[in-house]
Amino acid sequence: MLQMRGLSRIYRTDTVETTALDAIDLDIASGEFVAIMGPSGCGKSTLLNLMGMLDTPSSGSYVFDGKEVAGLNESRLAEVRKANIGFIFQSFNLVDELSVAENIELALLYHKVGSAERKSRVETVMDRVGIAHRARHRPSQLSGGQQQRVAVARALVAEPKLILADEPTGNLDTNHGEEVMRMLQSLNRSGSTIVMVTHSPAHADYAGRVVNMLDGRVLQERRRAA
Amino acid sequence: MINITGLAIGLAACVLILLYVRYEQSYDDWLPDAERVFQLQTLYEATESGGEEMNLQMSAIVAGRALEKDYPGQVENVVWVRSFSPVILQDGQASVTEDLRMVDGDLFAIFDVPFVRGSAANALPDTHSIALSESEAQRRFGDQDPVGRTLTIVDNNGPVDYRVTGVFEDWPEHSSFSADAVARFDLGAQFADREYALTGWNNQQGWNYVKLRQPADAALINERMPAWEKRNIPDDVGEGGTTNPGDFQDYRLTNIRDIHLGEAQAASVTPGNDRFTVTTFAVIAVLVLGMACVNFTNLATARSSQRAREVALRKVLGASRRQLITQFLGESLLVTAIAMLLALTATELLLPVFNGFLGSDIAVTYFGAGGILLPVIALTLVVGLAAGLYPAFYLSRFEPAQILKANKSAADAGGSGQLRNVLVVGQFAVSIGLIICTAVIYGQTVYARTSDAGYVRDGLLQIENLGYRGVDGRDQQVVEQLRRVPGVEAAARTQIAVDPGGNSVSRVYRTDSMEPIDLGQYSVETGFFDAMGMKLIAGRDFSNAIGRDDSTTPFPIEEAAERAFAERGANVIVTREATRRLGFTSPQEAVGKQLRSELTQSELGLVPITIVGVVEDARFRSLRAPLQPIMYLMRREGFGAIAVRYSGDPARTREAAETVWTRNIPQVPFDGRFADDIVREQYEQEAARSQIFAAFAILAVIIGCLGLFGLAAFTAERRTKEIGIRKVLGARTRDIVQLLVWQFTRPVIIANLIAWPAAWWLMRDWLNNFDARIDLTPVPFLLAGALALIIAVATIAVHAWRVAGTSPVRALRYE
Repeated sequence: MLQMRGLSRIYRTDTVETTALDAIDLDIASGEFVAIMGPSGCGKSTLLNLMGMLDTPSSGSYVFDGKEVAGLNESRLAEVRKANIGFIFQSFNLVDELSVAENIELALLYHKVGSAERKSRVETVMDRVGIAHRARHRPSQLSGGQQQRVAVARALVAEPKLILADEPTGNLDTNHGEEVMRMLQSLNRSGSTIVMVTHSPAHADYAGRVVNMLDGRVLQERRRAA
Repeated sequence: MINITGLAIGLAACVLILLYVRYEQSYDDWLPDAERVFQLQTLYEATESGGEEMNLQMSAIVAGRALEKDYPGQVENVVWVRSFSPVILQDGQASVTEDLRMVDGDLFAIFDVPFVRGSAANALPDTHSIALSESEAQRRFGDQDPVGRTLTIVDNNGPVDYRVTGVFEDWPEHSSFSADAVARFDLGAQFADREYALTGWNNQQGWNYVKLRQPADAALINERMPAWEKRNIPDDVGEGGTTNPGDFQDYRLTNIRDIHLGEAQAASVTPGNDRFTVTTFAVIAVLVLGMACVNFTNLATARSSQRAREVALRKVLGASRRQLITQFLGESLLVTAIAMLLALTATELLLPVFNGFLGSDIAVTYFGAGGILLPVIALTLVVGLAAGLYPAFYLSRFEPAQILKANKSAADAGGSGQLRNVLVVGQFAVSIGLIICTAVIYGQTVYARTSDAGYVRDGLLQIENLGYRGVDGRDQQVVEQLRRVPGVEAAARTQIAVDPGGNSVSRVYRTDSMEPIDLGQYSVETGFFDAMGMKLIAGRDFSNAIGRDDSTTPFPIEEAAERAFAERGANVIVTREATRRLGFTSPQEAVGKQLRSELTQSELGLVPITIVGVVEDARFRSLRAPLQPIMYLMRREGFGAIAVRYSGDPARTREAAETVWTRNIPQVPFDGRFADDIVREQYEQEAARSQIFAAFAILAVIIGCLGLFGLAAFTAERRTKEIGIRKVLGARTRDIVQLLVWQFTRPVIIANLIAWPAAWWLMRDWLNNFDARIDLTPVPFLLAGALALIIAVATIAVHAWRVAGTSPVRALRYE
């Protein structure tokens, strides 16, 4: 699904140059569940942002679904992103002013999907993650686990080819964390490709492949026995 | 910064307008004993015969005399001031003093103005004495002492020498009276050949000023006025029946301080104003200041997200709510005080421009009786507290635990967003309303200047001063020579011209009715309609070859000639409006019809007249005045002006006309003005007001936009995370811009819905003051709405682009 070759991301200020990613080579196949691990500041989130086209690489090649995307402008990246990628964040990133249903619907607003179909898809996905009974609630009225389920629903509703999860359990207690991980596992089993950044070895065990990073490089990869 | 700038603009506008309002309301306050000085005014009621309602500041000579006679215990002094500017000869040179006031008594016993030479008590000891203003003395005599010098006034009775007795300080601008010179003349001798001027109750040629004794009660005198009128005003007995001028006239004593904004504004000494305009300006001042306060409140609550943590920390460290409220109110007062300092600087800088616009001499003084220091301090306190009160209570109520626990900087309490929206709607409603008003006032002013007046303004030169004694009948040779000037197509003398000062009305009767119809009655000579470019729509023009066309009778009056005229009758030309008033169904129907009119002494009866022609209506006066139905008579003398129709270079024509005038009448100054300029002057005040209105509309829009700009900035910041999320989910920059722009255009659209009906109602009332007016179409409303929308979108689009262009990663890290 995606191939990265010599992908680098360097942040420059007037006085300092920081290499966040240093010539990364990484392939991820369709249907994989990949966990990315490493200490804070090793470049996990930067890698995920590049993968999700939220950021652009300083150099290297990034082929997504057979097309080179490294040199695309912001508007083209937005097009590729919204057609193919769903996001789940550690801090949920729900819009406080919108209800649960509206937050989920937001992911379809920028697709050419009619209002009736949007409503139907939102209901389906809410049922799927078990949040339908909270459809009219505001995020602030939900528990952390429930908020993350809304975020998952939002990531799923546009039926993306790839789901990127940035420490999806980081703000959750153990029970809610496990609940979210089981949900991701279930999604993967039903065909979704998932790349997840995590600090938790236990949660990394849900993935089929674990990529360990250090100082902006891939230190090692290990596949879980099937 | 936005807060201080917005508030400073609002305060400057408010201070300027309030200075103007106070200036308008303080006319004649400076005059010693102002509470005892009154003007006797004449109020004409509308009559069934078509007489218009008219409130005159002038009153008949006889009225003042009768008042003095009937109230000896109350009236201390009555002086009649004549509306007349004769030629003055100084060392043989003819000149005119713009505001020469001819008075029949000691005016300075009523107007106790300060003197720089001589004294008020001795300035007008007898007839043939004259006092000059400081500027006039300087203009005429330079640095020499003018007291004792002689000025010769060429009045109706010929040249009369006047001795200069004193020099008074220039009359203050904010006065309903003005004078460059005051000359005491012999009233009896002056009107010896025109006794009707002394005795006629319908003869208003000047103003009666009355000084009451200390305990006298003007209200009581006014209350008794109807009985006094009945007692004093004699019947007019004529062929048309017996009438009494008192039936449609009322008299009233108006205190000098109430003249400028009073009900009676016709025939005023200095241009007056109306309370509606002054009140409107005061309301605008309050609205503009309100808008600035709203900005302050809006931005302060919007910034609450930034200050929540500070409030929480202060509370944790022991600050009470009262202390926090005091802190925030203190900040608000400090900001207002700084804004006020900027506003006062701006006011002082702008005041000369403002004065230039309005022709006023408003000055800023901080100390003393008229000082603005105390009002300014009061305004600062009121604005500081009004603007700061809500934010102070709002910010100080944050719960520290909640804010610190949530580790949030944003603590946007529910409801405040709604309030901000309501305030933005209010601000834009005011701005849109002012834009609409400006557009309508401007449209009406342009219409007034350019609409078809019934005569052709282009290529028309008007020469006045024909009424001066020094002309001595030589105006006829002037007009004959003018007709031979290259480029002059027609020239004719007339009693009525563009912007006439006087009004002459005669009663006309149909042969089958004794119901009088009031028509304006003016003398013109042949060629007048051609010179004015007026269209003859039925019948024929006057002809010198037809004896009955000529209505000239000798002056001074000769009994036999008047009798012959009354028997012979006259041919007249009337306007379209006159035919309508007379009951004819068309101008053509009126031609050849016999009527009767009061054209000579009442004892000689009504004069038979025949309509020989009908001309199109012409508006000689301002559009505010109703269209007067007119009957033109052809005469060979008694004119006030010459209308000159020319083609080619205006300056050269005027120069040639001046040469002709000066060659024939060197004793009287040439006064030739183009009709375009006269009309422009007629609407100068309206134009100035529309410009001031426009300036305040622009100010209101600027203040509104400053507020919107600040709000957009804070909202964009507050919504940074949301924008990031939307971008992650596929929103393009333009989607985000659209989202933010729509958030702020919605209140502007709602503001239109509030502003439109209010402005429509206001402008409909204002336009009703004009006899001819523009239609109140949707165009200014739609334009104002569109303009406000464009300005609002442009204001927030800058922010929207900046925020929408931010990388979503950075946006999501925001919190």
